Amino acid sequence: MSSDQQPLLRVRDLVVEFNTEAGVARAIDGVSFDIYPNETVGLVGESGCGKTVTGLSILGLIPSPPGKIVQGSIEFMGRDLVSLPEEELRNIRGSEISMIFQEPMTALNPVFTIENQMTDVLTRHQGLTRRQAGKAAIEMLDKVGIPIPEQRIKEYPHQLSGGMRQRVMIAMALSCGPKLLVADEPTTALDVTTQAQVLEQISLLQDEFHMAVILVTHDLGVVAETCDRGIVMYCGNIIESADINSLFNHPRHPYTEGLLNSIPRLREKKVDQLPIIPGRVPDLFHLPEGCRYGDRCNRVTDQCRQTAPLLQSVTEHTAVSCFHPVTQTSG
Amino acid sequence: MSTPLLEVRDLKKHFPVKSGLFHRTTAHLRAVDGVSFTIEKGRTLGLVGESGCGKSTLGRAILRLLEPSSGDVLLNGTSIIDTPRSGMLSLRRKMQMIFQDPYSSLSPRRTVAQTIREPLDVHSIGTPAERRQRVDELLDVVSMGLQVRDRYPHEFSGGQRQRIGIARALALNPEFIVADEPVSALDVSVQSQVLNLIADLKRDLGIAFLFISHDLAVIQHVSDDVGVMYLGKLVEFASAEDLYRNPKHPYTRALIAAIPVPEPGRKRARLIVKGEVPSPINPPSGCPFHTRCAEVKAICRSELPAAVDVGEGGRSHLVNCHLYGKASD
Amino acid sequence: MSGQSTAAIRREGLWSKAVYKFSRDRAGLVSLAIVSIYTIVALGAWGGLWATEWADVTGGKWMPVSSEHWFGTNIIGQDIFQRALFSTRTTFEVGFVVALLATAVGALLGAVAGFFSGSWIDEIALWMMGVLDSIPFYLFVAAIAFALQDNPYAMHVAMIATFWTTVARLVRGEVIKLKSLEYVEAAHAIGVPEIVIIFRHILPNTFHILLVQGTITFVAAIKSEVILSFLGLGVKEGMSWGLMISESTMEVMAGFFNNFLAASAFLFVLVMAFNMFSDALQDALDPKKV
Repeated sequence: MSSDQQPLLRVRDLVVEFNTEAGVARAIDGVSFDIYPNETVGLVGESGCGKTVTGLSILGLIPSPPGKIVQGSIEFMGRDLVSLPEEELRNIRGSEISMIFQEPMTALNPVFTIENQMTDVLTRHQGLTRRQAGKAAIEMLDKVGIPIPEQRIKEYPHQLSGGMRQRVMIAMALSCGPKLLVADEPTTALDVTTQAQVLEQISLLQDEFHMAVILVTHDLGVVAETCDRGIVMYCGNIIESADINSLFNHPRHPYTEGLLNSIPRLREKKVDQLPIIPGRVPDLFHLPEGCRYGDRCNRVTDQCRQTAPLLQSVTEHTAVSCFHPVTQTSG
Repeated sequence: MSTPLLEVRDLKKHFPVKSGLFHRTTAHLRAVDGVSFTIEKGRTLGLVGESGCGKSTLGRAILRLLEPSSGDVLLNGTSIIDTPRSGMLSLRRKMQMIFQDPYSSLSPRRTVAQTIREPLDVHSIGTPAERRQRVDELLDVVSMGLQVRDRYPHEFSGGQRQRIGIARALALNPEFIVADEPVSALDVSVQSQVLNLIADLKRDLGIAFLFISHDLAVIQHVSDDVGVMYLGKLVEFASAEDLYRNPKHPYTRALIAAIPVPEPGRKRARLIVKGEVPSPINPPSGCPFHTRCAEVKAICRSELPAAVDVGEGGRSHLVNCHLYGKASD
Repeated sequence: MSGQSTAAIRREGLWSKAVYKFSRDRAGLVSLAIVSIYTIVALGAWGGLWATEWADVTGGKWMPVSSEHWFGTNIIGQDIFQRALFSTRTTFEVGFVVALLATAVGALLGAVAGFFSGSWIDEIALWMMGVLDSIPFYLFVAAIAFALQDNPYAMHVAMIATFWTTVARLVRGEVIKLKSLEYVEAAHAIGVPEIVIIFRHILPNTFHILLVQGTITFVAAIKSEVILSFLGLGVKEGMSWGLMISESTMEVMAGFFNNFLAASAFLFVLVMAFNMFSDALQDALDPKKV
């Protein structure tokens, strides 16, 4: 990504709230980031950090009620998606921005064949006839690596395996040639060998379709292998954003560092105790004063407990929200 | 050699597949299809495999939560399978289970104390006061405060619920615990906490574990020995050290290669296995992995490979693969 | 890491969420109020606080609405309002007895069938439900009424024998779902006896179904009572809305509607309120609804 390029998506100061019985929960609290054409950005964090809500809000899919975008803008190719009427949003959704979900079985309609569902999208957004759409759908299934697509397209979702269903979802999402694909935990429900196949397929297709991909995931390994940049979220905030190499090799935020250390990974030598992040993610109704990571942080000071740090640029594409970022020992 | 703590002999669990108007059994799903291994006292066996390989069924069949179709399981030399139902209660004291889903593994209408106490009640251990004290002890072991005693499961996070489930499993001082994917439903930072807890229990209480997981990295952290399962069969069995340093079976190698590594730039060696796991109702002939194996030979399609010991330095390293063994004939 | 981990937890009782949700459901609250009023009326009639003169002739034939006879009088000069009030007691008696027993029988047999699903116990339970469901309701009641000659509870027995099957089917399905949950497996692993598992770990978790199904059965029972009494198969002693409607057939032909309208209105309002209450209860107890 070169700096002179215009961002494809520009999210500014986004705040999303959910009305619950216990009160108003701020799922995202002032999130800003840019996505450039053709890049893959990983949106990482633990459950409840707001990564999925961020992905959903880009497509205007926040369930409302109880959810609501209360502030901020999502600018996609010059248009603000937040203020766009639902009808125009529907035209963008599925054609220019697409989304794939963790569990394709819930996203596919069980009573229609794959063909039915795929041609539906194509005839609506591309204005193809049913016959043309059918042909295009078979081509698309072939591209996502489904063997014998002419036969498979006549089947119902339950007749396919998990990996095949996810491929069908990808084929549907890409059938209109979107500029941006939001993939929400696309491989979490799959086995490792299938996950490897699907991730490979996504990156191949990305090159072919020249689209940007936002990969929402909790798996840092997946991010390291497939993304150009990573955005780390914690309790509704972005706490670090950096290119993949500096994020993994020189994490600046103590949370990123702790997360990287604590994941069980294949090691040369077995260790007795895994490094851990103490405590747990605070719930959204009992956020601590100041830095939200303060209670679990090993570098916490009085300053952190009083004021919340803001996301500050360190270099052009690196930003961190911490008063005491991890310093680079390697210089 | 002394009797091992647990010995599993050619264990099979086949589920009948019924179809048609009269629910005739038309086929069998071979969930576990002839598995044998032993676990020594205080050791942990990691069992790894993809979904549907039969690893969870195996864990439940060992504890006789499912009746095995054939084969035997011996705990301290006594057959669990031959024990009449009335005699199971005393055996259950010695073996327990930790479950995968922290949300469904605790009864929603029972308090934490009631849940942890139940094993003591059922086995009539101690006086009510002693049971109460034991519950407090157990809460302490799993690092939960005593103030949680009278709360209900829905008030806790996944990691905390998992700790409560572990406390319940520990109540009877078991010698052996089956842990079925105990951390896969937890968040990354909580996973390590629970894994460390399990490592502590193993060290401090000398409990032997059968640790079931799909995650090779997790398995490496907790296991002394590792068994790799594919379509109801063990395909490789070795010490954790040997298996990770020197994986023999093509499937094990593919599994290891497929794990995404959190180190950018170190792109995985592209050893992507093709296709998907075949159905255990109609497993392939010969070696079950031959449909996806990159090194498949003619013999693999017709003949089931027997276990070959390829261990070095006196350590056993069993692999069921035609690539090994025949050359030494 | 133990100390602070529990500090932030909100105390939240198991039922308080349902109560909170119900308290925000306006239709639910209104229906609850109406049902409560009916309950008080029924209790009062039962305790002899009012409607004591329902069987006495207190006026002339077909007297119009007045301050003395709020709904007028019937063909032999009995006060219609008092008769309608007294009938509430009958209705509640029938409703409660039938709902309670049918739900209990259904829960028990459903739970046992579900827990041992696939075994011969389940087969027998399913066969019984199938047989009972396939007999036409009114024919069945007539047969039982005939068999239990003159027994005032023939109607109750007939209703319980038919209504439990619905409860049993629902509970059986829920139990089949529950018994595969890991906490039930955990109970097996601990060595908890099967009968204790059913009563301690499974049945309490079907309670929301029983509560809702109980109210639905209540409504079905009071509606059936009216129809059966109208047909002469129901209430033998005392008074009921069904009997009032039955008496009123002649009056309606003569152009006097008071008796018919009073009984119908009492029935209509109660059934309506109870159905709304049942819906609200279902919403409040459904953990998936926000």
